[in-house]
Amino acid sequence: MSALQELQHNFIDYLLGQPSNIAQHIQSTPGLSAEKRLNIYAYAYKARLKEAIGTDYEQLHGYLGDEQFDQLLERFIEKYPSEETNLRYYSINIPTLLRSEEPFNSLPILAEIAEIEAAFADSFDAADSTILTLNDLAPLPESAWETLSFELHPSLQLLSYNYNSFAVWKALSDEEAPPETVQYDSPETWLMWRDSQLITRYRPLLNEEATALAFARQGQSFPAICEALLDYFCEDEVPVKAITFLQTWIQEGLVSKLNY
Amino acid sequence: MDAKQDMKNDDTRPFLGFGLGLRTEHYQHVIEHKPQVDWFEIISENYMVPGGKPLANLDKIRADYPMVMHGVSMSIGSTDPLNTNYLKDLKTLINRVEPYWYSDHLCWTHAHNTNSHDLLPLPYNEATINHLASRISQVQDFIGRPMLVENLSSYVTYNESVMSEWEFLNEIAKRSGCYILLDINNIFVSAHNHQFKPKDYINGIDNERVMQFHLAGHSYQGDMIIDTHDHDVCDPVWDLYKYALQRFGAVSTMIERDDNIPEFAELRQELAIAEDIATKALSAEQLHIAGQPVLKGVA
Repeated sequence: MSALQELQHNFIDYLLGQPSNIAQHIQSTPGLSAEKRLNIYAYAYKARLKEAIGTDYEQLHGYLGDEQFDQLLERFIEKYPSEETNLRYYSINIPTLLRSEEPFNSLPILAEIAEIEAAFADSFDAADSTILTLNDLAPLPESAWETLSFELHPSLQLLSYNYNSFAVWKALSDEEAPPETVQYDSPETWLMWRDSQLITRYRPLLNEEATALAFARQGQSFPAICEALLDYFCEDEVPVKAITFLQTWIQEGLVSKLNY
Repeated sequence: MDAKQDMKNDDTRPFLGFGLGLRTEHYQHVIEHKPQVDWFEIISENYMVPGGKPLANLDKIRADYPMVMHGVSMSIGSTDPLNTNYLKDLKTLINRVEPYWYSDHLCWTHAHNTNSHDLLPLPYNEATINHLASRISQVQDFIGRPMLVENLSSYVTYNESVMSEWEFLNEIAKRSGCYILLDINNIFVSAHNHQFKPKDYINGIDNERVMQFHLAGHSYQGDMIIDTHDHDVCDPVWDLYKYALQRFGAVSTMIERDDNIPEFAELRQELAIAEDIATKALSAEQLHIAGQPVLKGVA
């Protein structure tokens, strides 16, 4: 290990609160000791990470309050030293920590609120792609429908929640008192995507549309989607329902490409 | 008029005029009002994302303004291997933005499997010079254009340092062929924190390598000055800026503001102070703005 490498490892250990001899490498001055000088960096390290997480999880912060949110930040920074080049991605494991560690996992809605905020961030800068219009369906030959499959917009996310997390998140972002937590009998699916104006949209999905969209996202063919919809509709209704879903998705800007 | 005739001060240093750091708070104002600013500096990492609004806004603003790119994550002084994924993303962004130039800091940010997300100082000695000159050369070969390296504000001095920061910076620029982004505020901050004379720094820097100036505000914390970028540029830094102009001639100048960000108009007024100082310190001929992209090839 070179002298420079050893010095850098020691510096990082110091920032992480690990045993380190970095102070031996630093000059003290009459006004300020090596330790006090180093402490500027230790303080900045934590402050910068806290600021980044706070920006990413503003509503979670509001829900938890300053004290508990800071407790979360301290725990996260201790457990997750940043390996990200870009600070934008540092906080992606916040939902994982909330779901897995006490006392946060005793309130499962916390992880769901965090997931909503992370989903917004992902939607915001997801890859760009073409967005089809209904006119793109018109020239399809009839035979195409037998193998037709879809490429959906890269920003599209299907989010599944056991609690009324979206209602709580919405109230917090509107600076209103959040409603009481309600646990659903079965998970509710929400669709989130970025539209052609680069605005992030979201809406809840009924199970039939959630199933169809999940199939479409997997690259399943239109006939396979229709078959899946037989769980929800009678055979006569399925083609109309499937076409209606498809038209809605295209109008909302969810579909990037048709393959057949 | 060809590009060389258009560059009045010398052939190696085009003068872009007076710029500002592009910040998200000002996107809408800039897109809607197209305020007069000679150029913008972007933080490269803010646009090293797959797509969406950051890149859409960048493209819109780039259509109306020249740009330079400024990075914070190259970690050029680290003993880790160079981050090739980062460099690929940087090159992709350079090809998209077509900046006049790109820069990063005389520091390291990542080591020991951890990113500090901070600009950490280096010991100033021969071993570090060799290390940096080699890595900067690798970066420049990969990108296909020379880079600018910026002096940073620092709060510690290593026992292993055997030369001044300006001697260190000069030597790296000489050996690697990179240029210097001289942060006037950082000189002021580090001079206070390490008890040297800021004018010694400016006098010591090789004139021909300086390509850009940064200006910014700072904060006092006890006996130290911290490079916070959350205040206006203070009078002693304006004085130092004037001194630097007299020493180096016309150098493309911009103001960085990263916290406590004011309305765009207020920041633009602050930039007018820089223009005013430069107009008084230099001749009109020196302040003629160059019109062509530069630093296309590796020096």
